[in-house]
Amino acid sequence: MSNQTNVKLRLANSELWGGLIGLALGGFVIWQGLKLKLGTINDPGSGYVLFYTGILMCVFATSIIVSAITEGGPTLASRWENVRWSKPLLLIACLTAFSFALEPLGFLLSSIPLMLVLLRVIDPVRWTLAIPIAVLVPAGMWWVLKSLLLIQLPSGLFGVG
Amino acid sequence: MDTLANVAHGFGVALLPINLLYCFIGVFIGTLVGVLPGIGPISAMSLLLPVTLSGTPESGIIMMAGIYYGSMYGGSTTSILVNIPGEAASVVTCIDGHQMAKQGRAGPALGISAFGSFIAGTFALVALMLVAPRLAGIAIAFGPAEYFSLMVLGLVVLTFLTQGSMPKALLMACIGVVLGLVGLDSITAQPRLTFGRMELIDGIGLVPVVMGLFGVAEVLLNTEQAIKRDIINAKITQLLPNKADWQASAGPVARGTLLGFLLGILPGGGAVVASFASYALEKRLSKTPERFGHGAIEGVAGPESANNAAAGGAFIPLMTLGIPPNVVMALLLGAFVIHGLQPGPLLITQNPGLFWGIVASMYIGNVMLLILNLPMIGMWVQLLKLPYNILFPLIILFTILGVYCSSNNVFDVYVMIAFGIIGYFMRKLGYEPAPLVLAFVLGPMMENNLRKSLILSQGDLWTFVQRPISATCLALAMVLLIAPLLPALRKKRELVALDEGA
Repeated sequence: MSNQTNVKLRLANSELWGGLIGLALGGFVIWQGLKLKLGTINDPGSGYVLFYTGILMCVFATSIIVSAITEGGPTLASRWENVRWSKPLLLIACLTAFSFALEPLGFLLSSIPLMLVLLRVIDPVRWTLAIPIAVLVPAGMWWVLKSLLLIQLPSGLFGVG
Repeated sequence: MDTLANVAHGFGVALLPINLLYCFIGVFIGTLVGVLPGIGPISAMSLLLPVTLSGTPESGIIMMAGIYYGSMYGGSTTSILVNIPGEAASVVTCIDGHQMAKQGRAGPALGISAFGSFIAGTFALVALMLVAPRLAGIAIAFGPAEYFSLMVLGLVVLTFLTQGSMPKALLMACIGVVLGLVGLDSITAQPRLTFGRMELIDGIGLVPVVMGLFGVAEVLLNTEQAIKRDIINAKITQLLPNKADWQASAGPVARGTLLGFLLGILPGGGAVVASFASYALEKRLSKTPERFGHGAIEGVAGPESANNAAAGGAFIPLMTLGIPPNVVMALLLGAFVIHGLQPGPLLITQNPGLFWGIVASMYIGNVMLLILNLPMIGMWVQLLKLPYNILFPLIILFTILGVYCSSNNVFDVYVMIAFGIIGYFMRKLGYEPAPLVLAFVLGPMMENNLRKSLILSQGDLWTFVQRPISATCLALAMVLLIAPLLPALRKKRELVALDEGA
């Protein structure tokens, strides 16, 4: 790897960031364990396993950080080099929007636009195919679940579905 | 005699029309996901986990098992014809399988792969029938200390075999344990890490976590690159290997079967390790190792037999000890739990119909797979041409529906989407999700057994080393934890490291 993509003690070192997130999570788990009470070794409490797992997490995260500093690691940008990074990003945006829309709009009104966007975003499917798939598949699944399996999908504020 | 009577009883269960149907659906979907690159058995099983709710426990588990061993068969088709492994255990089949196809020998490559898989699958089932009841008898004597140590060993083996650095895999396993502990404490009934959300009182569901980490994250990763396919377009003829092919393959099939079965039983092991180990063994034993990589049929026969035998062997620790040796078996454990069943030493005696029914169905499934994968090979080749830009949105929709239907709760859909996004970034940063999922399933059991053993021994930690089985497991786990520090062993680990997610 070139110096551009493999860096040691720099903020761009992705290994360092991974380790720091792990360390923060470990610290949080230790704190939660202590809050829940450790109990005694004869009678371990609810926080006993959490506390020691948190300590292990900190140990492993520290080991990742040390190795990131001493051996270096790929930069965050290099992890997305030569890939179509915008596609998963768009997909994540779609899924996040969908999760916000699902309860207020209901399954049908939120999943049809989701399908249409996904069909056009990943590797654009032509409109004449994308529209029927985006409408018929969610509607068909909704019908099967509601009529045959008697499963009620969220119908939202408008009561559609 | 007892075994024969039990087998007959098992066939009685497996041959019920509804169970035959579920078995067929399982092996069909298994072959389908094996054939399609990008979706592995884990994604498919997590997708279909909610479906198992609708039928009897036998039907659901028969279907889930069918998906697993079916994917082992299907994976080889894509490896041979497209040079893209359909699932992780078929990576090694690409090397010689695709070369054979390029030389116009796709038929014998597919044929030996299917026959090798069938022979290995059959052997694994017979061994499962003979070994499992005896092991279950021994397992009754296991106490909480033994269970705890065995689970520790299983987790350490999996982290040892996972791609990337071991501290990363161990960190993932710890996160999995923590996630598994969310919800009410089983001993004190105190809520843990619920943040005041009622939805978390029962813990985080296995289905949304697995569907997110393997289903959604897999789609996100796959959209990064346009999948290029180099499909062998020539008509596939002469699927039956000739006499010379059989002579060359007999040894690799036998060795692959034995090796695969033994590696399948080991906690943390599985089909992927078995196929790599078999390929390495055949290359080492061959008088002409230079042929490997250029279309040697032994390089297809050995690994394909090994991965199927391992798939059968992996059922032993789950059925007899209640401990899933890998992520796929963890999902199967999820299916058992959904139906209120606890696999373990008492399962075979208390629920013989279920155990023997599953075993018998696996034999029937193997026969179905042979038919599905040889005369119907043309259909799978056509399927390889399915456009991914249509398939991926459909997978997303099915995961959403699957998660919602498993709990009738929108919260689980949010959990799945969150884990999908987390899983994507985890993979990008080199953190594999497999240890997390296994630890997520084992975490509560591990905690329970640890606390029970400490209470029973009045806080004496020596209880874990005074009991021989527990001491052996912990010693092995310790060796594996120290091993990556030694350069020679680190190199070996990198060679066998696996990607369970594929």
